[in-house]
Amino acid sequence: MITRSAAHSRVHRTFSRHLKVMVGVKRVIDYAVKIRVKPDKSGVETANVKMSMNPFDEIAVEEAVRLKEKKVATEIIAMTVGPTAAQEQLRTALAMGADRAVHVVTDAETLPIHVAKLMKAVCEKESPDLVILGKQAIDDDSNQTGQMLAALMDWPQGAFASAVSIKDGGLEVTREVDGGLETLAMKLPAVITADLRLNEPRYATLPNIMKAKKKKIDKFTTDELGVELKQHLKVLSVEDPPKREGGAKVESVDELIDKLRNVAKVID
Amino acid sequence: MMHAIKPARKLGVFRRALAHRLLSSSPLAGAEEAVSVDIFNPSPEHAALREMVRSFVNAEVEPQALQYNREERFNHALFRRAGELGLLGVTVDPEYGGAGMDATAACIVHEELSASDPAFCLSYLAHSQLFVNNLARNGSADQRARWLPAACRGEAIGGMGMSEPGAGTDVLAMRTTAKKQPDGGFLLNGAKMWITNGCVDDTQLGDLYLVYARTAGADVKPSKAVSLFLVEKGMRGFSLGQRIKDKCGMRASPTAELVFEDVHLPAENLVGAEGGATVCMMRNLEIERVVLAAMAVGIARRSLEVMNSYASERKAFGQPLSSFGQIQRHVAESYAEYMAGKTYLYQTSNALDLESAGNRLDTDGVKLFCTTMGKNVADRAVQVLGGYGYIGDYVVERLWRDSKLLEIGGGTLESHHKNMVRELAGVQRMP
Ligand SMILES: Cc1cc2nc3c(=O)[nH]c(=O)nc-3n(C[C@H](O)[C@H](O)[C@H](O)COP(=O)(O)OP(=O)(O)OC[C@H]3O[C@@H](n4cnc5c(N)ncnc54)[C@H](O)[C@@H]3O)c2cc1C
Repeated sequence: MITRSAAHSRVHRTFSRHLKVMVGVKRVIDYAVKIRVKPDKSGVETANVKMSMNPFDEIAVEEAVRLKEKKVATEIIAMTVGPTAAQEQLRTALAMGADRAVHVVTDAETLPIHVAKLMKAVCEKESPDLVILGKQAIDDDSNQTGQMLAALMDWPQGAFASAVSIKDGGLEVTREVDGGLETLAMKLPAVITADLRLNEPRYATLPNIMKAKKKKIDKFTTDELGVELKQHLKVLSVEDPPKREGGAKVESVDELIDKLRNVAKVID
Repeated sequence: MMHAIKPARKLGVFRRALAHRLLSSSPLAGAEEAVSVDIFNPSPEHAALREMVRSFVNAEVEPQALQYNREERFNHALFRRAGELGLLGVTVDPEYGGAGMDATAACIVHEELSASDPAFCLSYLAHSQLFVNNLARNGSADQRARWLPAACRGEAIGGMGMSEPGAGTDVLAMRTTAKKQPDGGFLLNGAKMWITNGCVDDTQLGDLYLVYARTAGADVKPSKAVSLFLVEKGMRGFSLGQRIKDKCGMRASPTAELVFEDVHLPAENLVGAEGGATVCMMRNLEIERVVLAAMAVGIARRSLEVMNSYASERKAFGQPLSSFGQIQRHVAESYAEYMAGKTYLYQTSNALDLESAGNRLDTDGVKLFCTTMGKNVADRAVQVLGGYGYIGDYVVERLWRDSKLLEIGGGTLESHHKNMVRELAGVQRMP
């Protein structure tokens, strides 16, 4: 039997009975790798480069696992859009504590709008009560997918969450904004995106790494989900940022102002 | 100046890297993947294990290594933490609290730990291989159920006693005896020397030991005269002879002499058959040699990374050190030897069945090659760093001191020569 929460009619399942969380994980170049641009400037070198889960997504997974440990969440689904090898990142999420996974397999370059549409399709299959994503991925730094998904689903959103709690059958999300903290109350289902300070992710323990091997990963193609990956952007050239020139020491404030005005030309 | 890995929480490292990333523009990642067979990480679980241990090492092992080694202290809290992460029972059946993985998984953990703190890794080895894996392979179901779960969780710390003050390489000349008693138990007398984890500080014993002792008289040939026993802290007559201090290296790993005076061992503490311990010993020494080789590979990798980055950053005569031919030789030879050793290591571990015995040739060969390789690479790293290489802050002097033990413990180089040549006598065609 599913009881209804009178206060929040949109919450069709109450927490005490069932709360399904979906987390997004993206395969990216590991944060410690020194990025190299390909000689033909078509992109960055990814051959023989160490790949990892986007660190903000690790935070998202950790938050979901903590909700489950607090007996708030009852099921965690990890989902990714990416090549076959992105299964490694799903396994990491499963080893951290996700229950099962959904892999949308594609070798195509995906934009945030593609990923948001694919996530929407998965949400329609899975009906999660809460979707937690990283606030951005460290490869393209777009910071759009969570917001787009919320818009497509017409769900409330709490981007850059630094604290999340369940209150009165809804969510209370603390966000880091310029000049302070903002606290939002929202109903479920909702989308939140994880900021760096939300939590500190755990290591998957060895027994959990072994258990993850047996957890289920459902695979879909983009066609099966009815999403067309229309390319709206074309990358013309990828280049290294300009090399920084060495700084210089100044003797006085006057000299500094003079240099800022006449050499750097940043003040008039 | 070179940058040694500095104490930092994983997220601290990440935050800094991220700040750096956010400052520079981030090009879009391409989509192609390199698919290749990786003998160092033969399955996704091996790769995940290596990844997890590396994160643990960066965040929790590296920051304590210098201090604990300087003070000759064993980091018991860190040992328990390894238990929480499931690292103490890598090769043990999940039924008894382990992860049910293979020899290669054990090598991965040893390589990664040793790249930061070989001494902590040596104590880890004595516990997880010499005690835990030894009991998992040679003990009965009752014995495994009784002692392994606590050992896998890190609540009990274990070790293994084979060497004696008067018997090392010639181990079957041991003089510790266990006399059968009318009640079926045994009376243990003698002493064991050089026992890693024989104590946890200057005065206290560890918890559980597998001890080899003679159970037959001089008329029985040595290979049929030795039995294996489980000896527990608190048994009457079992005491700490001495803690062996002031070692050249491996200073955060406690080493002790254990003394047994009329220790009464119940029959349930006999592991395997009476007089049948030689095969237990040989089986366990095989994996011991392989993980000791893995430790040497870890030392070599770290030393190579340190010398490689130092050589490109440090300038002399207006040029980076890496522009000088003699330095190039140190770096290039180290890389080639490291890769040769690492490949031999994982080739051997991937083929090693932990339930089997009689894998002499390559378990001896890999330890023979890798331990001297590790010592040489650490030595070159000290040389490339000059004066900086000779002090603790730059890590390689510690690795250099630690590396020497690997040529002695678990069998000396000379014992490998002897055993390999005996094996090779029957081989006509080389692989
Ligand atoms: C830090 C440390 C930790 C240790 N931990 C443990 C432990 O946990 N458990 C344990 O049981 N033991 C342990 N050992 C002991 C170690 O295994 C022995 O030191 C080793 O086997 C060598 O024995 P030995 O010291 O008696 O030297 P010896 O056997 O006396 O050897 C002395 C020298 O003679 C050479 N030699 C001996 N026989 C021959 C031969 N037939 N042909 C040619 N050369 C020969 C040796 O190679 C060596 O160079 C540890 C030792 C150290 C230093």
